[in-house]
Amino acid sequence: MQRRTFLSMAAGAFVLAAVPASVRAEDFRKSKPTVWTAHTVEDAMKAMYGTTETVAEGVKVVAPDVASNGGAVPVDVTSDIKGKTLAIFQNVNPESAVIVYDLNEYSIIDFSIKMKMKGSGTITAVVQGEDGKLYSGSKTLDVALGGCEG
Amino acid sequence: MKIKAKIKNGITEVKAMAKHDMMTYDIAEKKTGSRDNANFITHIDATVNGKTVLDASTSQFLSKNPIFKFSFKGFNKGDEIVMNWVDLKGNTNTSKSKIK
Repeated sequence: MQRRTFLSMAAGAFVLAAVPASVRAEDFRKSKPTVWTAHTVEDAMKAMYGTTETVAEGVKVVAPDVASNGGAVPVDVTSDIKGKTLAIFQNVNPESAVIVYDLNEYSIIDFSIKMKMKGSGTITAVVQGEDGKLYSGSKTLDVALGGCEG
Repeated sequence: MKIKAKIKNGITEVKAMAKHDMMTYDIAEKKTGSRDNANFITHIDATVNGKTVLDASTSQFLSKNPIFKFSFKGFNKGDEIVMNWVDLKGNTNTSKSKIK
């Protein structure tokens, strides 16, 4: 390895190491901006985690089979996995990412939100486990009245 | 923001509602003619005794006046929960409540 390459890598590593200490909570809109502009769940997952490979177990997504109002679809996500992050995606709105939670030692994966769905589709929740693996769960539902047009 | 925090068996469950239009780019274009008028909460967090118990980056696809339900462990009745959100235009809101 050339000395110059080594030095620049060392400097980069130093910057990476210094960041978590100064930022108490991670703002994924700043740290991973492409997650929020991705148009498909696959692209959003790649932008967030670098892979789309998930273990399809351990994450429960609960939403109504038929949502009458696409402007406020209730979604519950629960899991017993010890996770670092939890991301919720869907495949019908212009962009895929809905919300990304940063988890810590106080967190319990038992979240509910109300979200907009432009039409019938699938909601996917991904838990990034502390073991480095990705776990996912999903729920496909019908939406009677799409909620992106207001 | 309306916050209700209840503790049971060491687990605090919080229901919070932020008052916000959560205007998506599509709605902004339709209603005001410009996508630049879109505005929605982009980040929300909650702390108890200075420790982060919720930290979420959010998109335009949460409902109007979005509701956040979440749970955490490690705190006691009477502790104060402080929630903050910031939106795309830089507006912020801070609300407080006690764990009951």
